[in-house]
Amino acid sequence: MKRRDFLKKVIKAFFLTLTAFIFSASIYIYPSNIRKRRFHYIYLMDEDDLPKKGVRKIEFHYEREHRIVNSRVFVVAGNDKFTAFSPVCTHLGCLVNWDNNKKEFLCPCHGGKYNASGEVIAGPPPKPLTRLPLEIKDGKVYVGIKV
Amino acid sequence: MGKIFDWIDSHFGVKEPHKRFLQRTIPPNVNYSYCLGGIAFTYFLMLAFTGLLLSIYYVPSEKEAFKSIIAITNEVTLGWFIRSLHKWSANLFIVFIIFHAIRVFIHKAYKPPRELNWMAGVLGFVVAMASGFTGYLLPWDQKAYWATEVGTSMFGTVPLIGDYLIYAVRGGLDINGTTLIRFYSLHVLYLPISMVIILWAHFHMVKRQGIAKRL
Ligand code: FES
Repeated sequence: MKRRDFLKKVIKAFFLTLTAFIFSASIYIYPSNIRKRRFHYIYLMDEDDLPKKGVRKIEFHYEREHRIVNSRVFVVAGNDKFTAFSPVCTHLGCLVNWDNNKKEFLCPCHGGKYNASGEVIAGPPPKPLTRLPLEIKDGKVYVGIKV
Repeated sequence: MGKIFDWIDSHFGVKEPHKRFLQRTIPPNVNYSYCLGGIAFTYFLMLAFTGLLLSIYYVPSEKEAFKSIIAITNEVTLGWFIRSLHKWSANLFIVFIIFHAIRVFIHKAYKPPRELNWMAGVLGFVVAMASGFTGYLLPWDQKAYWATEVGTSMFGTVPLIGDYLIYAVRGGLDINGTTLIRFYSLHVLYLPISMVIILWAHFHMVKRQGIAKRL
């Protein structure tokens, strides 16, 4: 083998090893416990506590991977119909607040605004607020979220 | 002092090879705007120094991070001072990199033969911003948390590999203790080391090519 050919081989081997190394590194940094979020119904409150009108923020918590996660939903009362909205802004995931004077949901991060039916009225959010299914059983209200 | 240095140098021999660097002639018509990069570098040194000091007390864990920040600010003697120095140097570091870039831009010093040095500079700016972003999470308070929530969500918008990126950066589905450790590691190891290499290349090219004269 000529010296030149040998060096070419060495260089090739070096880059192959490097590629293999970068590839394994990018697998290594990926968390091993990523799983799909599963759908759960979680107890929210008793039926009697449902708001008569307007928007009510309801805090609740649940357990995931041995830690308590605090969360909240907004329950909007329509004509004997209730809608639950996730508070997570559809832009980049901040939590929105309900402004009772202006009657709109306000995102503190980049000024996204939604009306009481969850539609975007201003700012960068690309989609309306996510609706969450509500279920009423034996006088108890449950909300369906992905945990 | 000089004698001690001369003795060390008689064995070590750093003076001779650096003469060209330290005693070079500077073109006429330079003014104070040529100091902007140097000022930014000074802030980098300040950041490295205060960062080393902060790392003595800071605890990068989910339970302790915020507490240790409070302790640094309220209990450690001069802790508030070192922490503020770090914070303000970080802000001014970015500001002066931008001023420096504007100066280079106005003088058209990004043109060949200095185009590679402009790229090194841009890379350094990216690393500086990344350091800012990772450092922002470390106090582990509400502002830090939500800033990181928004910042990492942006990775999710990259086509195809968005999901991989967002979970690799967060170290899980959500931001938690794993994210904190990742960011800490980036902030104190990966990014500073990259920065030192980039700055070495940056200064090396300045030395080789000289500074651009005014148009
Ligand atoms: S995250 Fe709500 S507007 Fe950007």
